[in-house]
Order: sequence, then structure tokens, then C-alpha cells
Amino acid sequence: MKLSSRYEQTSCRLVIEGLPDLSAGQTSQTIGILTGFTLALAGKTEMEGKREHLQALMQAVIPYARQLLSGLARPCGADDQPVAIRPLAQGHQLELRSSQPDTPPLALQLDDAELADLVRCLDRVQLDPNLAVPLEVPAPQPLRRSELRHRLPLTRRLAAPVAGVAALLVSAALVALLPTPKPQTGSGVAATAPVRSR
Amino acid sequence: MADALVHPQRPLPRRGLERLDLLLLCAEALDLNGGEAMVWLSEEMGLTDLFPNRVELWKRRCSNPLRRTTRRDLPTEAEADGLIRILNALADRLYPMLRSLLSSAESPQMSEQRWSLFQSRLQELLKERFNQRRGGVQRLLDPEAAPQLCRELIQTMALSAGQGGFARLKASLMDAAA
Repeated sequence: MKLSSRYEQTSCRLVIEGLPDLSAGQTSQTIGILTGFTLALAGKTEMEGKREHLQALMQAVIPYARQLLSGLARPCGADDQPVAIRPLAQGHQLELRSSQPDTPPLALQLDDAELADLVRCLDRVQLDPNLAVPLEVPAPQPLRRSELRHRLPLTRRLAAPVAGVAALLVSAALVALLPTPKPQTGSGVAATAPVRSR
Repeated sequence: MADALVHPQRPLPRRGLERLDLLLLCAEALDLNGGEAMVWLSEEMGLTDLFPNRVELWKRRCSNPLRRTTRRDLPTEAEADGLIRILNALADRLYPMLRSLLSSAESPQMSEQRWSLFQSRLQELLKERFNQRRGGVQRLLDPEAAPQLCRELIQTMALSAGQGGFARLKASLMDAAA
């Protein structure tokens, strides 16, 4: 029996179709085998795809949203993946690459509200207990210091090392100004000369 | 299940605390009854052990170093999780408002009015409760820098709403200091 799950959020509607995997001990209301999905974004072309396309969509959009929360807007989704998302000056661009040869990629412009709607739909898919299809999406992780360098302007980032080098140069110059101790002559030399015993 | 997705088990860093309290303040700026809603949601979600009354909830929020009067004791991990959970529920409740602020489909006039109302309410709350000598507060009160910062806060709230919002927001609050 074919099942379908519907996830809706204002400008986004995602419908997943599939079958229960009874051999894996799932109930008849659980989708264990995903046969296809349809994504409709208000005012844009409706898209259809298979399990790998849905996984690529989630692997691009959910980490992108995670990075946006840290103020980091950078593209997600590799060139060889069916879905990628990148920031624009105003909004975001979702790129869908067809597996059919000679078909140009479809680029959809989303504003911040449409992106939030899409993320909420994908979150529901990820956490739906009635969807037992393994969709591997990386768990959200804190970003490392190296990934957040953009938060500080270049001048502030360089301030500490430049100040350190400057302090070293100044102290070296001051040490160079100190008078060099003169070599001791006379009694000093005699005192240090080895004593020859007969 | 969403909770299990966040691996790190350590208290929130200082910057995370600042952002969390600022986001809760945004919820108050969006909703005049936001303070009451926090107490009500805390009770509804069964967080009365962590925040038995509004004073305790207030005290936890006062760990933010940007506050006019701050408390030295940092919230425990369970208390920080409780505050994030309250923000997640507030963002869910306010989602239609957050969406209308972020949407480019709204008329520019209406959008401008909404943004200026939100900014003026947020700035009133900042002046009332936060230390205006701190750089982070001054940037939010600066007429040139404030619009972009306010947009980032609203976008953060919108992406923190819903089922996956808790794990996503918690991970971002745990970011390393830049």
C-alpha cells in the first residue's frame, strides 16, 4: 500500500511517497522505502525527485541554515551533488542539477522567509517518526575558531601579532642602545690566567 | 531526538549567553507579553524545577555580561538548555511575525513600518536593561549598524523555530570565540 507524508509551511509544500518495509518489522503506517518526493515552493516550478535528491537537498540546506545562525553565509553542496545552495546579495539561490544529460541546472531564488519555510519542512522530515528512510544529515556542531574569523575585521585580527612584533623590535632597539661592556685588562687578565706549577 | 543531535556537553560560553539573552529580548520586543509568555511556556514545558518562578528565570537571564546588573554565577547546562528550549518555543509561537518581517513579498511601506516598530521596541528594552557602555550594546543602538544586526537576530529566531531549531541554535551558541 502506497503511503504519503505531507509537510507544509506557508510557502513550501513537501510530499514524500513510499512504501512500508514490512520485512524490517515496520508498521504499515511507516514509510521505509521512499519512492519519490515532490517539492513545491510558492510561485516557482514544482520539483520531483528520488531518495538521493531528497538527501542531497537536506545535506545542502540544513548545514547552510546552521552556518547562517553563526553569521556565516557560504555555499553548501558540492559541484557533483544534485543540490547546492549559495548566498546572494539579497537572499539565497537553490541550484538543482538534473541527472539528465544536456539539461541546464535550475536556479531558484529564495528570500529569508522562504528559506526558513523550507528549513522547517526539512526538519520535520528529518525528525518524523513515521519516516524510517535513512537520510544522512550531519548533526549540527559548533563552529571552530578558524571558521569564524570573518566575524572580526582584518585590522583587529592583525592587531595582536603586529603589536607583539612591534614590542619585540622596540625592546631589541633599547637593548642595542645599552653600552657594550669593555673587555677587562691588567689585573683582570692576570687573575684569570692559568697558573703554571713547577 | 533533536536533543540527542547536539554532541557537546559543556556550559554555554560567554558570547553564547549574550546572544541567547539578546534573542529572548527580541521575543519581548516582538510581543508585549513576551515576558509573561516565557513564564507560561516554562511551566507548560515542565521546566518548573529549573525555573520555579519568574524571579529565578530573570536571574538566569541576568548572567549575560551585557546587562546593566549582571550575576557572576553562570547557568548550568540544564538551565541553559531550558532557556534555549523557551526561546525555541517562543520563536515557534512568533514565527508568522518573524516570517512577515523577513519576507520580500510584503509591501516595502508595511515592511519598513514593522522593522522600525521592532527596532524602537528593542532599543527601548536595551536602554532600560543593558549596559550602554558596552560595544555590543552601542552597535545595536547605532542607527547605521542596528538595521543589519536586527535582521540577523530575526533571521536567527526564524531558523531556530520548529523541531530542529533547538539543536541548531544550541550548536551555534556553543561556537568557539572568534
